[in-house]
Amino acid sequence: MERGYEVIVVGGGHAGAEAAAASARMGARTLLITPDLSRIGQMSCNPAIGGVAKGVVAREVDALGGVMGRATDASRIHFKMLNESKGPAVWGPRAQCDRGLYPRAVRRVLDELPLLDLFQEMVTGLWLEEERVRGVVTRGGLRFGSRTVVVTAGTFLRGRIHIGGEGAVAAGRAGEAPSLELAQALEARGLEVGRFKTGTPPRVDGRTVDFSKVQVQDGGGGDYRFAGYVSEELPPQRDCWITWTGPELKGIVQRNLTRSALYGGEIAGQGPRYCPSIEDKVVKFPDAPRHQVFLEPEGLETTEIYVNGLSTSMPAEVQEEFLRAVPGLERARITKLGYAIEYDYFPPHQLRHSLELREVEGLFFAGQINGTTGYEEAAGQGLVAGANAAAKVLGRDPLLLRRDQAYIGVMIDDLVTRGVDEPYRLFTSRAEFRLLLRQDNVLERLGPIAREKGLLTKDQDSVLGRRLHDRRALVEWFRQTALPPEKVNPLLADAGGTPVKEPLRAEELLKRPELGAEGLAEAGELSPRPPRDMLHAVEVEVKYAGYVRRELERAKKLAEQAEFRIPEEAPFGQFVTLSREAREKLARIRPADLGQAGRIPGVSPADLQNLLLEVRRWKRGRERAVAGTE
Amino acid sequence: MSEIEGPDTIVALATPPGRGALAVVRVSGSKVREILREVVPEWDERGAERRPVLASLVDPESGSLLDRALVTFFPGPGSYTGEDLAELSTHGGSLVPALVVDAIERAGARMARPGEFTQRAYLNGKLDLVQAEGVRDLVEARSEALHRVALHQMEGGLSRRLAELREGLIGLEALLAHHLDFPEEDDPPVALERVVEEGRTVLGGLEALLATAPEGELLREGALAVLAGRPNAGKSSLFNALLGEERAIVNERPGTTRDAVEASVSLGGYPFRLVDTAGIRGKAGEVERLGIEVARRYLRSADVVLLCVSCEWGWGSVEAGFLEELREDASVLVVRTKADEGALSGDDGSAGPGDPDADDRRSASDPRVRGVLTVSALRGEGLEGVGEHLRDLVFGGAVAGSGAAPVLTRRRQRRGVEIAHGEVTAFVDALEAGVPAEMAATHLRPAETALEELLGVISPDEVLDRLFSEFCIGK
Repeated sequence: MERGYEVIVVGGGHAGAEAAAASARMGARTLLITPDLSRIGQMSCNPAIGGVAKGVVAREVDALGGVMGRATDASRIHFKMLNESKGPAVWGPRAQCDRGLYPRAVRRVLDELPLLDLFQEMVTGLWLEEERVRGVVTRGGLRFGSRTVVVTAGTFLRGRIHIGGEGAVAAGRAGEAPSLELAQALEARGLEVGRFKTGTPPRVDGRTVDFSKVQVQDGGGGDYRFAGYVSEELPPQRDCWITWTGPELKGIVQRNLTRSALYGGEIAGQGPRYCPSIEDKVVKFPDAPRHQVFLEPEGLETTEIYVNGLSTSMPAEVQEEFLRAVPGLERARITKLGYAIEYDYFPPHQLRHSLELREVEGLFFAGQINGTTGYEEAAGQGLVAGANAAAKVLGRDPLLLRRDQAYIGVMIDDLVTRGVDEPYRLFTSRAEFRLLLRQDNVLERLGPIAREKGLLTKDQDSVLGRRLHDRRALVEWFRQTALPPEKVNPLLADAGGTPVKEPLRAEELLKRPELGAEGLAEAGELSPRPPRDMLHAVEVEVKYAGYVRRELERAKKLAEQAEFRIPEEAPFGQFVTLSREAREKLARIRPADLGQAGRIPGVSPADLQNLLLEVRRWKRGRERAVAGTE
Repeated sequence: MSEIEGPDTIVALATPPGRGALAVVRVSGSKVREILREVVPEWDERGAERRPVLASLVDPESGSLLDRALVTFFPGPGSYTGEDLAELSTHGGSLVPALVVDAIERAGARMARPGEFTQRAYLNGKLDLVQAEGVRDLVEARSEALHRVALHQMEGGLSRRLAELREGLIGLEALLAHHLDFPEEDDPPVALERVVEEGRTVLGGLEALLATAPEGELLREGALAVLAGRPNAGKSSLFNALLGEERAIVNERPGTTRDAVEASVSLGGYPFRLVDTAGIRGKAGEVERLGIEVARRYLRSADVVLLCVSCEWGWGSVEAGFLEELREDASVLVVRTKADEGALSGDDGSAGPGDPDADDRRSASDPRVRGVLTVSALRGEGLEGVGEHLRDLVFGGAVAGSGAAPVLTRRRQRRGVEIAHGEVTAFVDALEAGVPAEMAATHLRPAETALEELLGVISPDEVLDRLFSEFCIGK
């Protein structure tokens, strides 16, 4: 069994799958090792991918050659474009997936990669030599050697599941064993450890739901695709439903609060505020008359339904009682109880932007272990960690995404710069360049980077080539094509705009608020018809050119600051012209450049200016010292 | 790896050097306790916090007595600088304080650079930049009005206002975050009208603050009040009388009245830079012409012009012509001088060239003239009225009427608020024009940054905190 690998990925969740796939695509001999191979790509919480910002991340992962987009397309049974009534820059594609189809699709994509091996075992320790990784050790005592290791342990590190306040069970996910030894092994390396919690709602048997009392939510989106390189076959589509809690449920929750693990004092870890339990909602917003509950099918071949909105850590009988108070669920039979889970994470300021730990060479972390939540967040980190683990072995430059290039870049920079004080999820509000980070331009943004880093297969590469070519051609078409009044005026009439008298270029027309790129392409009989997201991208960039330019200018300023690199060993504590708070923060975070330093809370613009001077002075002193010894 | 290094220890004489009865020497830094133990052997750390103790000061090397002094020790971080700090009230004069400073230096401190104590207070988070500017204004204040404004600013008045406005912007971002990031929530979507309305509230606050800037800056610099009039119209007498009245500091410039004489003076509690210029008349010799050029330059930038008209001659074509040469928006106070020489209104009741009513009528037709006063520099009559009039003309708006409200006193402050104002205006306009919210929102962060840079503080991202406290989020 002593086979040597270049990269070993521990864990087969969304982070692990992307890490292993990215590493193998880069050309590194890769092993993915996980306690249960049948659960690779498992959706442990809501079987849905995407949403506002998160949908863009899923597409970013795809544009970087990843697995998530394809698996989503191949398993989605309901689709909705969130924010469609708002500006195109904040559209958020979201897919409800079949819980069974999704992991199968992930496995199928992984199996396409010749350099990737899979192995089923619980990893219990790291094989280390001094401050460097040499491989992993499994529960059965097997050793696998490698130059780099990516740990994606999810909620398994010392995981404890709570169902009601009556006691907790050690577990990784419901029904799966936790990983205790690995947590201890990592902690023994002197890493800082924190504890978070998260929760899930109960699931019910759809045959016991009264659908006459709930509202149908239409899917839509037609043939929308997350994947840009490969066109998967879409499964048949299903409806979702919505219902609401009322005063009765509130009463039940209030009466039983002390029995909740969350409120009974059983759980100490911090949970995400944007994903509150029903206990939290009732306690923190006592005046809210009702809360919405989404009923989401778990798959095509199961009647199980995910009761989204009722995440809880109440005991079984209370869960049953409050479900009965929800219209449509009066007779619902629970198939799985809701639960809260506590788990270890490693505060991510201990990482570099490559997601390699500062203190242990060759060891990378990705996903929930870094204090994030969400499949998309995990996948994005997994891809970056896997690519960088491979790049390190192969002697290539690391994959470092900037804040103006990708939500993944925003996330990783937030993690290593600001740390986390609750499970981290992406929002468009976290990005200062939200107009640039759209779902419609992922391939143009990230495809060339993926290509340069060697993250694309040959097939993906040739699709990208065509796409970039078509995109340039489309921009040219809008610039060059003049549309006669008889073609444009019907569009204007529909939108209530004033008609035009002479032919105008499509680009000029697109600047009018009432005209869109799709309509103009149709009026201009553009053939073949470009993909919709490409049309939308051109529309945003033409119609809102002024706003987009502003963001580009700000991004340029940031890039200038990023050019001033700060060596990791800079003695931040000794820079006495900086405020005490700034020195402490800088010494802890050790920013890689001036831009990152400026994003650390507590570092003021004046500190930043002085930091620049201090680092220059220190570098000069160091050079002189070196010259002196020679 | 790198430890946080303690600050080195600085020392300085905090009172002006020279012949005072007392002097205060200040020491701040990580070695204050050690230094006190050396220089003040009988000083005992225990029980001596924030309480003056009478003790002997000695030379750290020879042990010879330097002075008996009151020693007060303020442990960090509860001190002005945020570090360990001591104040030693020694006897005054030029020798004793110098010996004490020297002793402390030899015990391990170094001489402080100008403003370094306040700089440390800022670096240790005791003051923000705006407060530090307040400290400086307070120390330099030469009028009651600036003293009042600076004190308020040092106490954090302006900082709080700026922080509130920043909070307002964070609130706007939170509303937008709810609008954009959480489209499927329990709470109904935030109406953009509400965002626009709250944007206008922030805008109103920024406008009110901005309105204080012109006068606030004059509070620091002193408003330029230029005396003008024909030669011999009594300008210099009035100039000297106004100075004498207030016992102000005179900065005489080289040259005669043919150039200009400038002095800083506090009139009615407000700071002015009073300028006496060369007289203006129809024909002038070469030398005088140079003086007149200088006068014209002053007049162009004057905040207020005191147009002196002798009661002997009254209003004439020279004065009328002079008015026409001034800027459209110039502010002119007509001062009828030399009322002591028998032409004071009502003295003899005669109407003639010196008839005040006629002067009033003739000058009041010009919108630049904001008032007519009569004074006697010789008898000191009417001078107070001039001061009050000047104060009301220049500072009668935002500053005087603002009570204890914050005032912008520096160009740096004004620029920051102007940037924020411009961005928020663009934000509100864009939303009203139907531009998508995420586009309009690109104006908010630069506005926040401008205010944060003013304060010199960057706070952590509070948008999401605000959002989660106000809305029930999460399905």
